[in-house]
Formats: sequence, C-alpha cells, structure tokens
Amino acid sequence: MDYIILSVTLLAIGIVGLVTKHDLIKMLIAIEMITAAATMNFVVFGSLMQDSMGQAFSILALSVDACVTAVALALAISIYKQLNIRDFRDLSEMKEESSEEENQTVEEN
Amino acid sequence: MLLETVLAIGMVTSAVFAIYLKDTVSSVLSLSTMMILLSILYFNLNAPFAAIFQLALGTGTAAIFLLAGDTLTKKSDPKTSTKTILMGFVASAILCVPVIVGTVMTESLTQSVELSLSSALWDLRAIDVLAQGLVVLTAALGVVILLKEERRRK
Repeated sequence: MDYIILSVTLLAIGIVGLVTKHDLIKMLIAIEMITAAATMNFVVFGSLMQDSMGQAFSILALSVDACVTAVALALAISIYKQLNIRDFRDLSEMKEESSEEENQTVEEN
Repeated sequence: MLLETVLAIGMVTSAVFAIYLKDTVSSVLSLSTMMILLSILYFNLNAPFAAIFQLALGTGTAAIFLLAGDTLTKKSDPKTSTKTILMGFVASAILCVPVIVGTVMTESLTQSVELSLSSALWDLRAIDVLAQGLVVLTAALGVVILLKEERRRK
C-alpha cells in the first residue's frame, strides 16, 4: 500500500484544520494530526528499508510531540485564565487594539 | 491488504471528523480513534515499539491533555448539526479515493524488521536520546512555571 498517499492526506486534513479552525484546542488537534502524519513516514520508510532507525526516530518525535502539546495547552490555559479567551481571532484583535492604543499614546506624548 | 485499506479509510474518516465536529470532546475522541488505528498500522508494519509509543503517547497522553485543556477552558460548544456530519462523510469519502487507489495500485511494504531498536537508540542515537530527555525536562519546567505564574497572579 502506498502509505505516502495516506500520510499526505492526513497532512492535508491537518493543515486545513489549522487554517480554518480558530479554537485553540482544535488547532492543537490539527497540530497533533500533522505530527502523526509526519511521524508515520519514519516508521514506513524504516519498515521499507528494514532499519530500526525509523522506529527510533518515531519514538523521539512522539515524545517531543507530547512535550509540545503539554506546553501549548499550558499556554492556552494561561491565556484563558487571564483573558477568558479561547479563540485565536480574539487574541489577534486584542493585539491589534493594544498596538493601536500604544501608537495613540506615543502620538499624544 | 484488506486490513490496511480498512485502517486507512478509518484513519481518514476519523481525521476528517476530528477537524469538522464542533464539539471538542467528540473531536478528541475522533483523534484518539485515528491514533489507535495508526498504532494498529504500525503493528502491521512490524514496528511494535513505535506502535506502543503511539498508543501510549499519541492516543493516551494527548487525549488526556486535550480533554483536560477542554475542561479547564470550558466554553459552550455548539452542537454538530446533521448537515455537518453528512458533509464530513462526503469529505472523508472523497479523501478516501486516493488512499484506496494507492492500495490497489501498489504492493504492501510490510516486511520483517530485525528488532535491534535498543542498539539503534543507544548506540547510534545516544546523544539524541539525552537531548530529548533535556527537552522533556525543559518542557515540564516550562509548564510548571506557566501554571505557577498563573497561581501567583491570583
């Protein structure tokens, strides 16, 4: 079976989710999907070449992926507790508003 | 061949639903289903260590993290309409076509792999493993600092 097609399909679904969804948890789900699609290639090519290095790399990648998820979730929880925001667009709007306020204060001074 | 096709179709379908379902808990469950199917695929590829890691970290830990995050940052999720579910099925059916065609056109890659993972990890990639330990510790420290800062502000 051509696993590359499956991997690319999963990658495409993940990228579409990352672009279209604005909820922080949903974005994390999309990132998980992208990393799973990428990690799959290590195992597939390792199996094809009869080499255990693919498994070794996939184990390393999975561990780092879990770390990334933990840190990103901690950031999401921190943002939610401080600003009561779970939508990425609201964060961007807040950033634009704060930069506009800063510009106004600079002009007034 | 049949098992691989079924696994691939299941993975694509659950991936589509993980993205398109509006309820976050259902999305996480769909993602977990996809990861379980992926680990079965790894077992099928004679990669048992990768499969177990995928099952433990990709499925278990990630699902717990995401569900905990969803619970701690609760917002009212809108219910997924029947139209959205139907759209999800149509999208997954379309996306399954290249996967099925690939299954028919190419042969299986499944071959026996000598299990010398320990030598691959410790002899050839020892520095990577140590660096990864550093990454894990740094990530844990980062999470602790982030959450402690939050508690201090309260």
